[in-house]
Amino acid sequence: MKVIILAVSCLLAVSGALAADTCYQDVSLDCGQASNSLAFRRRSLPRCNAVYGEYGRHGNVATELQAYANLHLERSYEYLLSAAYFNNYQTNRLGFSKLFKKLSDEAWEKTIDIIKHVTMRGDEMNFDQRSTLKVERKNYTVELHELEALAKALDTQKEIAERAFYIHREATRNSQHLHDPEIAQYLEEEFIEDQSKKIRELAGHTTDLKKFITSNNGQDLSLGLYLFDEYLQKVV
Amino acid sequence: MKAILFALAGLLAVCLPASATQCHVNPVTIPKEWVTMHRNCRMSMRQQIQMEVAASLQYLAMGAHFSKDIVNRPGFAKMFFDAASEEREHAMKLIEYLLMRGELTTDVTTLLQVRAPERKTWEGGVEALEHALLMESAVTKSIRNVIKACEDDSEFNDYHLVDYLTGDFLDEQYKGQRDIAGKASTLKKLLDRHGALGEFIFDKKLIGIDI
Ligand SMILES: [Fe+2]
Repeated sequence: MKVIILAVSCLLAVSGALAADTCYQDVSLDCGQASNSLAFRRRSLPRCNAVYGEYGRHGNVATELQAYANLHLERSYEYLLSAAYFNNYQTNRLGFSKLFKKLSDEAWEKTIDIIKHVTMRGDEMNFDQRSTLKVERKNYTVELHELEALAKALDTQKEIAERAFYIHREATRNSQHLHDPEIAQYLEEEFIEDQSKKIRELAGHTTDLKKFITSNNGQDLSLGLYLFDEYLQKVV
Repeated sequence: MKAILFALAGLLAVCLPASATQCHVNPVTIPKEWVTMHRNCRMSMRQQIQMEVAASLQYLAMGAHFSKDIVNRPGFAKMFFDAASEEREHAMKLIEYLLMRGELTTDVTTLLQVRAPERKTWEGGVEALEHALLMESAVTKSIRNVIKACEDDSEFNDYHLVDYLTGDFLDEQYKGQRDIAGKASTLKKLLDRHGALGEFIFDKKLIGIDI
């Protein structure tokens, strides 16, 4: 009888569908070997970890989440350079600088948050990991004029938001190996909701600025840019 | 024929708006006599900014390591994530100084690069603290070199920047190094007899839990 139970439990362990008892098995296996405590130390309970739901074993959700941290990290430092550029004495647009500084701060905080989430799910962070969606950017520069810089920020925020959609889609595929509601809800709560608001805000800014620039046959240009920067200083 | 039309339309689309709408104010010139920073000093400041950025990434990797389930040292993780944010702030402070002195009107995009940190695992808390201490010593040495480059210029001794780096940055470096060195010593003493217990207790202390 005992043999049958053991055989069944082994079968369950091999099938891999349930991770439920595997740490316990490691523990009872290692703690039982009283005569050889070295084995205990060497093995250090390989299945007593935070991994569940086959995280990182199928599909690309785990690697895409690492890449998502790296995306935020890169964009954070790019935004920081934009903030610097608008704060030099020639451009001297403190409102624009403030807007980019805020984007940079937010992306930096998200970077740390995603790294923590990666490790929360029992994975480790790989700073070299890039998304399969990654598009190489050519001739990237932060030295842009006001409307160009806003346009670039809008595009970048959309890139970040669409990447969240992509990872969400990968995490909600109808397959028992890929479905990961925890990641899906993390993305929804911490990213997707706020991203729509930020994109709308930036789109609104470009609408206003474009009107200032084109109205009155372009005569309002310099005053419009000045006023808009003053406005940004107040609202950002 | 169609292809030619398309090409023409494309050409028009690209050229017409460019000539139709001006989106930015033409650059103006004002006296530049007040922009006095010299080349060597500027270049070493730029390198220093890159070094602070690299340090921020290395601390991020330390935070990531100590956050892992199989490491489980939230105190160390928090300390290193905080250190990463501090290094980022150091980079920002140096950038702000350059801006104050009339710098960074050009070559802003090339100021820094995000490269994956070199190291990503540590044997334990002591090894990470010792690594941090070596890293900070290297940063301190580098700041001293910036000071030299800004002071030794035969045409222009940059007194103010030298004072800023000496008073603000070196001060923070020396205090920071002392803090890390103290932590490393205390932890190492704890580990002498009671390895696992010592690091556990020290980690909880870092996160504010007294056991
Ligand atoms: Fe620093």
